[in-house]
Amino acid sequence: MHSLYARLNNFSAFLSSCLMGLLAAIALSSFLFTAEPKGELTLASVKVFPGSSRRMPTVKQEFTFVNFNISADLTPLFHWNTKQLFVYLQAEYVDSKGVQNDVVLWDSIIRRKQDAVLNIAGRNKYVFRDLSRSFRNAQAANYTLRYNLMPYVGVLTYGEAGRTSEPVPFPEPETVS
Amino acid sequence: MFAEELKAFRRLGVRGVLVQLLNFASVIASGLMMWKGLGLLTNTESPIVVVLSGSMEPAFYRGDLLFLTNPPNVPYQTGDITVYKVPGSPIPIVHRILETRGIVRNAPKSAIAQDVADGQKSAVLRAVEGQEVEQLLLTKGDNNPIDDVDLYNGLDWLERRHVVGKVRGFLPYIGYVTIAMNDHPNLKYLLLGVLGLFALIQRE
Repeated sequence: MHSLYARLNNFSAFLSSCLMGLLAAIALSSFLFTAEPKGELTLASVKVFPGSSRRMPTVKQEFTFVNFNISADLTPLFHWNTKQLFVYLQAEYVDSKGVQNDVVLWDSIIRRKQDAVLNIAGRNKYVFRDLSRSFRNAQAANYTLRYNLMPYVGVLTYGEAGRTSEPVPFPEPETVS
Repeated sequence: MFAEELKAFRRLGVRGVLVQLLNFASVIASGLMMWKGLGLLTNTESPIVVVLSGSMEPAFYRGDLLFLTNPPNVPYQTGDITVYKVPGSPIPIVHRILETRGIVRNAPKSAIAQDVADGQKSAVLRAVEGQEVEQLLLTKGDNNPIDDVDLYNGLDWLERRHVVGKVRGFLPYIGYVTIAMNDHPNLKYLLLGVLGLFALIQRE
């Protein structure tokens, strides 16, 4: 009854259920933090250039280049169960063929609370292209700043921290001399 | 060393051993039932996966557990972390969605009626009545400098049928046991052997 094996077994079972209970409590506690910080997102410029990609060097297609300004304070999102924030800027638009597009242009990983005050003037990190290879006749695009809160343990949550005040149309492609 | 255990084994007799074997089998069967039940509930073939590579660091490290769901008829969004399997490569990959392209197709009425009649979940999502949206996805690992096109085995885009599920929950480290067992197969056999022996010998 009171053999070493039985004692060890009981002890480790108790320890692991305590650990699981604690982890569950921590995971549930993050539902109490419901901050939804808002920031400002403005576009400095949107330009379309003709070109070709590395993968398809012979195919002519258009690329859009976006310069943007972000000012947002995301510190309220940092609580004891926040491992990191994944912040990303995306363009949402419907192109000339009626395809609904969401394209991430820029992203950043924030790991510390003191880095969560964003004042960024940036340009797109990822290629912005269209399936039809042209932005002609595409509808004006909405640009949004979103975040994904990744916890130490528990559920991943998403939110929107800002969006351009009105849809921004794509300009005519510039000619490259 | 094993004299005591052997004595206990003999005391059990044939019936006793058979009962213990049955107990062992029912433990394994209930585990399998829970796994498959969870799979049905979340609509994915593997509701819990272990991270095997460092391409999503610092979010996910090797050995972290991820909980997946794959609700039918809910489109994926950029920023979602998906687990996908491309034909021709056996290992599922956990990466974040970078682009979604929703191609709206006017579905023939008969096809919809057929789908509804079959109660079938196809790769096609219905956005508006009489229209279907087919999503093309592009993914990227947070820790990788470029997107995943080169991992797609010649495909230009990922489609819904390649996606196993979307990451909803996270539990660190626990999955490292399975990685250790994969790296050292002897450990697996040792663990199985010891567990089996205990199941046979132990009496409540």
